[in-house]
Amino acid sequence: MKESILMLVQYATAVAAVALVSVHLIMQGVIYPYATAISFNNILSIYTNGFYAVFLEALLVVVLVHGFNGVRIILSEFRQTKPWTSWVDAATVLAIIVTVAYGTRTVILAVFGGAPA
Amino acid sequence: MTEVKLVVQRFDPFKDVKPRMMEYAVPKREGMTVLDALLYARDYLDHSIALRFSCRQASCGSCGMKINGRPRLACYTQVAELGGEKVVAQPMDNFAIIKDLVTDLESFFEKHREMMPYLIRADSQEMEKPTAEYVMKPEELEKVLQFTYCIKCGLCTSSCPTVATDSKFPGPQALAQAYRYIVDPRDGGEEKRLELLDDAHGVWRCHFAGSCSFVCPKGVDPALGIQLLKRHVMTGKGPRRDSEAAKVWTAPATTPPQT
Repeated sequence: MKESILMLVQYATAVAAVALVSVHLIMQGVIYPYATAISFNNILSIYTNGFYAVFLEALLVVVLVHGFNGVRIILSEFRQTKPWTSWVDAATVLAIIVTVAYGTRTVILAVFGGAPA
Repeated sequence: MTEVKLVVQRFDPFKDVKPRMMEYAVPKREGMTVLDALLYARDYLDHSIALRFSCRQASCGSCGMKINGRPRLACYTQVAELGGEKVVAQPMDNFAIIKDLVTDLESFFEKHREMMPYLIRADSQEMEKPTAEYVMKPEELEKVLQFTYCIKCGLCTSSCPTVATDSKFPGPQALAQAYRYIVDPRDGGEEKRLELLDDAHGVWRCHFAGSCSFVCPKGVDPALGIQLLKRHVMTGKGPRRDSEAAKVWTAPATTPPQT
């Protein structure tokens, strides 16, 4: 994939993350009482709201793609050999898939009322 | 007579294990440049100091070095403007040292060459044997003009933090020149250059530190060129040739003035 496409993804996820994280912080800090915002039961109840669950899933994907792609950029400057670049690219894709899958599992389990292990 | 304390970093890779600093007391005179001070030291105090210079008027870009910690041209830096009585001359960063203040610019010029810093056109016959002028509007010239002032001194590259860590990064000079030719309405080599630039070690590795523009002795703004190049790669927009301008202008036949 061309680097310009990966950078476009990086910029787009950065803008999306600003919007999503802002909404998330407003919800947690303003709309919900701050003192109980991060309590286990409160978080679990948030996930039962379908709209908010989708929102959290979007936040998860955007932040993870942006974060791991950023790490890829840093690591690709670390060394300039082709094997290193290929390894970093593969590790980035794998890390995104694994973490998004694990986060999605958490969201799905919570949506259906089960407490994730 | 007042003197300036000239501190020169000395290093011969064939003899020395590590660089050492040597001090020379140089008589100060009005209008003295750092290059003047170095030449005085070399001519009268220590013939073994190695330095590169040529035009003495900031045109050739040969005397680039780190002066009091900042990349500058020695011929374009007056001792008086540095303040204080001490001038420290060191070779440019990001380049291998050949000897003392002389650095190896081979990779720098190689990266410049890779960007194909010349007009690429399909009508090569017209370029070789021109029958008329290529049209270039004043506003189009304005977009590329500052980048044509580059003297390839290497100061921007020596100050670039990405060049320091990524050996494949073309560097600010080469990227600014790529931009200069890509947006030139007479050029048609955009695709070839973008193939080189849109790479994991290409234009996107510039993090806009801006030090290249800060140190340029000719007032060129390579950082701006690189950001405009990024925009061009991303959107295909920005200052771009129009099809009319790229055509060869044929001068109308003129009649000789009547006497």
